[in-house]
Order: sequence, then C-alpha cells, then structure tokens
Amino acid sequence: MRIELCGETLELHADRALHWPRRRTLIVADVHLGKGAAFRRAGLAIPSGDTRRDLARLDALIAAFSPERLLVLGDLFHAPLLESESWFADVDRFRARHVSLALEVLRGNHDRVLHRVPPGWRIDWHEGARHEPPFVFAHEPRDDDRGYGMAGHLHPVLTLRSSTDRLRMPVFWLRERHAVLPSFGGFTGGYGITPGPDERVYAVTPDGVMEIPETRTRKGSP
Amino acid sequence: MHGASATPDLADIERLFAARGWRVFDYQRKVWQAQARGESGLIHAPTGTGKTLAAWLGLLIDPARRDEGLSVLWITPMRALAADTQAGLQASCTDLGLDWNVELRTGDTSSHVRTRQRRNLPNALVTTPESASLLLSYADLVPAFSNLQAIVVDEWHELLGTKRGVQTELVLSRLRALSPGLRTWGVSATLGNLDEAMRALLGPKKTGRCISADLAKDIRIDTLLPDVAERFPWGGHMGLSQAPRVIEAIRAASTSLIFTNTRNQAERWYEELAKADPPLKLALHHGSLDAALRATAEDGLKQGTLDAVVATSSLDLGVDFTPVDQVIQIGGPKGIARLMQRAGRSGHRPGQLSRVVCVPTQAMEIAEFAAAREAAARGNTESRRPLTHSLDVLAQHLVTLALTRSVGADDVRREIASTHAYADLADTDWNWVLDFVMHGGSALAAYPQYHKVVEDQDGLLHVPDATIARRHRMSIGTITANPLVRIAFVHGASLGSLEESFASRLKPGDSFVFAGRRLTLVRIKDMTAQVKAGGKGTLITRWDGGKMPMSSELAEDLLRLFSGFEAGSGALRALSPLTEQDSAGERNALAPLLSIQSRWSSLPLPGALLVERTRSREGDHLFMFPFAGRSVHEGLSALIAYRLSRKQQASFVFSVNDYGFELMARELPELDEDEIRALFSPVDLDADLVASINASEMARRRFREIARISGLVFEGHPGARKTMRQVQASAGLIFDTLERYDPGNLLTKQALREALDHLLDASRLRETAQRLHAAQVTLNITERFTPMAFPLWATRVSSNQLSSEDWRTRVERMLDVLERAAGGTRGPPLDVFPLASDAAGPKPATTDTKKKRARRPRRPRMSSFLRPLS
Repeated sequence: MRIELCGETLELHADRALHWPRRRTLIVADVHLGKGAAFRRAGLAIPSGDTRRDLARLDALIAAFSPERLLVLGDLFHAPLLESESWFADVDRFRARHVSLALEVLRGNHDRVLHRVPPGWRIDWHEGARHEPPFVFAHEPRDDDRGYGMAGHLHPVLTLRSSTDRLRMPVFWLRERHAVLPSFGGFTGGYGITPGPDERVYAVTPDGVMEIPETRTRKGSP
Repeated sequence: MHGASATPDLADIERLFAARGWRVFDYQRKVWQAQARGESGLIHAPTGTGKTLAAWLGLLIDPARRDEGLSVLWITPMRALAADTQAGLQASCTDLGLDWNVELRTGDTSSHVRTRQRRNLPNALVTTPESASLLLSYADLVPAFSNLQAIVVDEWHELLGTKRGVQTELVLSRLRALSPGLRTWGVSATLGNLDEAMRALLGPKKTGRCISADLAKDIRIDTLLPDVAERFPWGGHMGLSQAPRVIEAIRAASTSLIFTNTRNQAERWYEELAKADPPLKLALHHGSLDAALRATAEDGLKQGTLDAVVATSSLDLGVDFTPVDQVIQIGGPKGIARLMQRAGRSGHRPGQLSRVVCVPTQAMEIAEFAAAREAAARGNTESRRPLTHSLDVLAQHLVTLALTRSVGADDVRREIASTHAYADLADTDWNWVLDFVMHGGSALAAYPQYHKVVEDQDGLLHVPDATIARRHRMSIGTITANPLVRIAFVHGASLGSLEESFASRLKPGDSFVFAGRRLTLVRIKDMTAQVKAGGKGTLITRWDGGKMPMSSELAEDLLRLFSGFEAGSGALRALSPLTEQDSAGERNALAPLLSIQSRWSSLPLPGALLVERTRSREGDHLFMFPFAGRSVHEGLSALIAYRLSRKQQASFVFSVNDYGFELMARELPELDEDEIRALFSPVDLDADLVASINASEMARRRFREIARISGLVFEGHPGARKTMRQVQASAGLIFDTLERYDPGNLLTKQALREALDHLLDASRLRETAQRLHAAQVTLNITERFTPMAFPLWATRVSSNQLSSEDWRTRVERMLDVLERAAGGTRGPPLDVFPLASDAAGPKPATTDTKKKRARRPRRPRMSSFLRPLS
C-alpha cells in the first residue's frame, strides 16, 4: 500500500516492512535474529528455523524492491552472538547473497554486546537517532525537532473487537510527530496500542495492508 | 503412661478419645486396624467426621513404626490447610505420649527452615504436591526417603482429575521405588467413582481397602425465593437484588459462611453487604487476597467474632470453623457434591446439622437448586476422572529426578509404569518426552545448543547447567494460573494479587474494587500495581477462568425436573416423594417462568432437543438446548458453527451456558428439523471437531499451562523478571513457533487432546451428538428471547468465534459496526430485549445485566484462526 508522509511516497508492505522508493531504502524494525537460539541456550526448547525464515522474508522483499540499502530500526539481534550457533552461518550466507546491499542498523536495546559481529557482515551501526530529511530514524519512538520520527521497539499491535468478532493485527502506527513500525521478526510478540484521535493506523493482515480509519480505531481498541 | 519409644495401641487411642469426650466411629477403628496391619487404602468420609485422625493415628500404633528419620509424608492440596493439619497431627502425638515431631514444608516455609529440614528431617512432614515434588529434586534426600513408611494424601478428590493429581501420582511412584514397603492412604469426600480414585492413588497394580464412613450428615437446604409479585431477573449472575434477604438470613444465624462462584461476585457481594444498617461484622476471603488478609478472615471465623465471611472456593476445603452454623450459597451450585461439601462447612462437628441457604441470582438457578436437592436426596453425586498421559507433567518430573543424578531413563520408565496416569503410556510417547528434555524435541526438528538433561557415562540423567537447574526448581510450584501482579499500597502494605491480563489494562488513575475496597491505581512497577485508597471509578475487577462448569449430572437432573411441568394447570410436580415437601417453594417459584417458556416456545424435555430461532437487529440467533453441561456445549457450538459455515460463509459468535448454546451470525441459512438433526451427525465428527477447534484456537489457549509445566516458558517471579527478559515469550508465540518448525511436537498435540478431552469432554460430546442426531427436534421461531434464551444472549461475554470469511471482509464489517456505534447508536440494539411491558413476563433486562454489559471489560477471547503470523 502506498501512502504519502511528509511529502514522501512510502510503500507499506504486508510482510511488516516499509519501502522508501526515493532513497531506494527498505526499512524494517525489531528483527530479533537468533532469538530462538537464545531460548535454547537457556534450556527452553524452541525449535530452530525462526532466523532462517526471517532472512528468507528479507530475501523476498529485497527481490521485490531491489533496494540499495536495508535500514534496520534497532534490535537486529536478540542476544549476544555465539559463533557456534547454526543461524550464524545463515546470516553469513544472507550477506553473501546481497553483496551490494548496504546494511545500516540503529543500535537497539537488544543490540548491546556485539563485539562478535563479523566484519564480513558489513553492518554500519548508528548510535542514537539518524536524521535523513524529512525523517529522523531511531530505535525508540520519540519526537524530534529535526523532523518526523520513525522507530520500532514497541512491536505495536491493534486489537479490534465487536460483539461478533475479534482481530489482532500488527500495525504501522503513524502518530502526530513520529511513526512506529511493526516488529519484523517472526518470533516476536506484540504490544497492544490505543491510537489517539489524529493518528493513522495501517494494519497488517493476511490479505494485505489495510488502513484503519481514525474515528473507528478508538472505539474498537481495548 | 508411655515413654518416648513405647508404641501406643488401639486401647490408648480409645482412652484418649474417651478423655476428650469424643466418640470413636467404626470406620476409624477399621482404618487404624488396617494401618496397623500394614495395608494401603482410601478413606471416604464427609467433612466433620474425624477423617484426619482416622488417617493418622493408625500409623502411630503400627508395631513396625520407625522413630528415626522421615517416616510419614502427609500431602494436602492447600497450603492454607497445611498449618492446621500440622498442628493437629503434632497434638495427637503429644497426647499419645509419642515423641514425634511433625513439621510443615510448603511454598511459604522460609529458606532457613527448609535448609534445616534437609539436614535433619522430622518424623512426619506436612506438605503440598508441589513441595513434595521439589523434595525429590535434592540428591542428598534420596537416601532418607528409603526410611519412609507411609504417605497420606488428604482431600484426594480435590487433586483427582487435575495435573496436580498426576504430579502426586508421580511423586508416589518415585517414593515407592525408594521405599518398597511404602503404604499409601488417601482421604476423599464422596465421589461417584471411589474405586477408580483408589486405583489412581495406589497405582493399578496394588490392592487396597476402601473404607467408607457410612455416616449420613444431616443437611438442611433452604432456598431464598423472590416474592411472588417480584420480577426476578432472567439473566445476570450477581443477584444483588437478593441482598436484603441475605442480610436478614445473616442476622438470623450466629456465624455465616457465604460462598460465591467467582472472586468478582465475592467482591461485589462484600461491597453490597457492607452497606447493611446496622452494619454487619464482615470479612472477605478469596484466593487473590494477601495471605495476611485471608488469615484475618479465617481467625474471625474460628473465633466466631464475625457475622459473616464472603468467600470463594478458597474456603471450600479443610480448616474447621466450628462457630459457623449457616452456609449461604450465592448463585447456582454447579454440582451436587460441591453443594454438599459447602453445606458441610457448617455444623462441622459430628452429629450437628449442616444448614445451607441457597440464593439464586437468576430465575433458572431456582431450578438448579431444586434439582440438586433431588439428586442429594437420592444420593447421586459426580465422578472425577483421573487424567492420563499428561506429557507436560511427565517432562517436568523427568527433569526433577535428573537433578538428583541418581536415576537412569529406564528406572524412570519402570517407575511411572506403576502409576494410573502412565500405566499404558506408549513407547513412542515415552521416547518423545525423553528426547524433549534431552534434545528439545524429536530428531526430525532441529534444536541446536539445547542441553537441559544429559545422560552421564554411568547412564544417569543429570542437569549440567546450574542456572537451568535453579530455574527448574523455581518453576516446579507453578502448576497454577496466570502470571500475577501484586496489588499493594504505595507505602508498601500488600493486598493480594491479580492476573496480569487485567492489571495491564488499568491506567494510572483508574479505580477498581479489590479486597473489599475501592482503590485507585497510581502506577505499575516491577510486577506490582501500586494503589491508593479511594476512587469513584466503576471498573469491575475481572479474573480469568472464574466460571466453574455445571456438572453434567446436575444438568440431567434439571431436565428431568422440567418434565414435571403440567401445561394445563401451570404447576410443576415434584420428581419424587423424597423432596415433595422440601421443594414446594422452588417449584412454585419456577412454575410461572416455565409457563412463559412453554407459551413462547416449549420446555426442554428429556429425549428431545429444543431449538429456538430469533431474528434481531444483530442478526440471526439460533439457540439450542442439549442440557449437556457447559464444556460439551462449547464443543458442540463450535462443531455446529463449523458445519453451518460449510453451507454458507459467515462469521459466528457463540455463547454457551450449562443449559445450551447460542450461535449468532448476520445471516443464517434456513434450517428445518431434519437439517438440524443432520448437524449432529456422527459422520466425520472427530475430524470436524478438530477442524472447528483449530479454528477457534482452543488448543493454543490450552497450551499456556502445558508450556509452563513442561518448562517451555519461564515466567519467573517478581524481581527475577528483568534478568529473564531475553528468554520470555508468550505461550501463544511459542505454540505458533512449534507448529511451524516442529509439527511433530507432542506437547502441541497434547494441547489439542486436552482441549478435546477436558475442555470439551470429547467422549461425552460424542455421546451427546449421537443422542441428538436421533432425538426429536422441536424448532420454534420465537419473536423474542425466551426465558431459556435470554441468559445466553445477555451473558455473551465468554464467546469464541469462528469464521470462514476472509480477513478483509471481517475487518471491513467490524469497522462498519464500530462506525455506526461511534455515530450515536450506543449499546446493544434495543429490539433484542424481550418486551419489558409484557405483563406476564418478569422484567428481563435487569440493572444487573445492563450494568454488566456496560462495564465489564471483555474476557480475553480465543482469537481467530486467521491470526497473521508474519
């Protein structure tokens, strides 16, 4: 779905990603690579496959949009890295498949201990917010005087309820001064939001992205 | 007198009883003799007939008694009971001149006492299933258990049919392996299947003796009935309009114990009774309240200083409150045994009369009380089926034993084969569970870096990672409900705890009722909701899983009761001479309601299926009344919706209660009697049921408990939360991940099986479908909701839904609805209420119902099967 925001055209993709055609940039938030492995290390039996699948989803998005750059709004990784883990090699192969793709990441709260990230992955880390007019990218949503903010961290989810139905959907949450992207990772949860009166909400459904009009969301959310 | 090492005998016990002025019952003597002979068995006795002493004293007069080390383990289902039991057991040792120390070990026991106990075990230990299981995890205690002579499981009927019961069976199997001569005694209230209860306790291969007290407790049942002229609500479940009559009843007795069916109801009733003038001395007691608050209420009951305590099932069991001379049951009894058990909490002493005053909260509940009275008079009661093959509990047990590094996998396999729960566990299932704890899952799915349990070079199972070991011990006690948030004043005093799902919806400034007070939320911090007193808000505290299903036995009795209605005279005949006199009031109160039901539609009768169809602005409503109990209706409603959805695409909304269920959609296909019968066809029943359940995600919901027990989620406790964040995920998310990457996972399959067996009572559901497929169907098109239909419509809060439409259509329609709601048409469409002006009918939409619809936040419902996963 194409939308206009601050004079820019953006494409909201149902795989929880955002494409910025003018800058040839694919934007995602909260990928949480290696989350399943972190659980297994702690003795919780989560089968492997989450990271590989998330990378495959990125492959498909890259094939669809041919971006020059992948911008991750924080939490690319879930936990400190261990080279011995199988998903490590999956990321290696992912980088090898997309040699010319720039990978820029705003450091998120989960991306703290990263001395083990191999240089071969060619990740440009950004500390704090990054100003690319008209937007200011950051991990945690906040208003910024320099421009319209765009962030992740929250994993926003909207629940619609009526007497006959209940639907829970990850959303792109466009607030007055900043937007929050849905979490990209398949093995991530959600945080229920209550949109305000002048906020736009785009829900991700199996049938594509749908706009939820403002007057209605307030009524239907918890 | 006897010295410390002398063994008392039966004569000593008789002398002791005589000195106290107590009477020895025959059944007690039988138990003591059997115990002294080294037998095992089950004691069946009503409360207040000395069953604790029956189970205990015989162990003390056993000639083979051992006075060194741990000799007797006493398992009780409730922590609240444990302290009183321990004191009672210790006192009788002293009385018999026996130098035994009896100690307590529960989740409340301080860590230094636990440590001391591990070094120096008492002669007898009173504990809970969880704490007993935890004891098995300590390597240093393994030798001590070989000294164990007897285990007593108190209130076994409470554990039976639950996973804690299975956990108890596993504890017993381990201890029997360590101490081969171990004897097992259980104590149980009345059950429809005592023999099976004993087999589950002793293991199917052991023989035992079932000793019944044969003491009929005199129980007087009264029902508080509305005045003839009064319009009694058809729906709702608070029944606050009955408060003045209840206050009168409280004043007429010296101490009343008031039972409600949910915590919410307890809070509301406490608030209402507190308005009595002159004021009553009241206290509140339910499972979410802080232990200190509960203790205050219990002390007040024991000392008789209170007029009444409003309680939930938290006071169903155990501790003897001698001053209580009246029990008040608010709301339908839901079960015959339950009403009798609660009644027995008054007149607790042998020979005293137990009195229960029944307070119906809506019209149909009058019928429930009448049916329960009839069943009790005939001596009918419910059965509880023990669970089998719970792989989650087995996985937990395996890790627990591995912590001791003293058993091999084959040893465990042998031990569990002696339990009722796992006697016929298939090798494939066993191997899967073993794989699960050692490798994470079957070899087909990949679980790299997963090492929870490993086998050492001697073939012994052990847990190499100290963090995992510690976390497992912490989680053993968590066969409980949902994650909890503590409720405390800003200055620190704790009031209790609430489900996180409710607390997370509160915003600072919101006020709610808890612990009988109005509170305002200040902030939520570190799993504690800090509150201050006061506030004007009307938010009603909500708890999950509060509703207990009515037993199918009682539901059947209800249907039989209706067959006594004579349309000509408009009178309801008694079912049997046994209750002719006692039930006259109930029958007279019910007759006008049944008249309306039979005029507007017809009465549900045995052998027939009543179906009502009504059109409202909401859509088409289809009401069916199989009278098979709530769990069966949950399954049937999903099944019928699924089968209807194949005729015509639609989104359905369901509502179920103990009498029947409602399906509602914008548009339902036309159906005649034959087509309705066909909907219950046994052909492809299981497949359709599974398909419909998948659709409504019951398994996913059920998985939450399984994930917690089997160690797939770790919820920790307040304080430990921060460090654990990186490995916390919701059970739903884990369920989705397992479904996608490890489709062979048996725990997700167990979730489905449990949803079928326990939530829906699948075998009973099949029988019911079979019966209805052949039944005579009465289809009535009704202009308005009948007395049977109205409560279903009015309480459509626990509904689940099923949809065969695509997501986009559903979102768009829902937005339409919300748009219209925002445009000014608030609340439920007015034309769905039965006409309040109908002089013949009681006023249907009571304040009670309206309030509930307006204020009560929705219970989290099963979300749709179309949930987006990526």
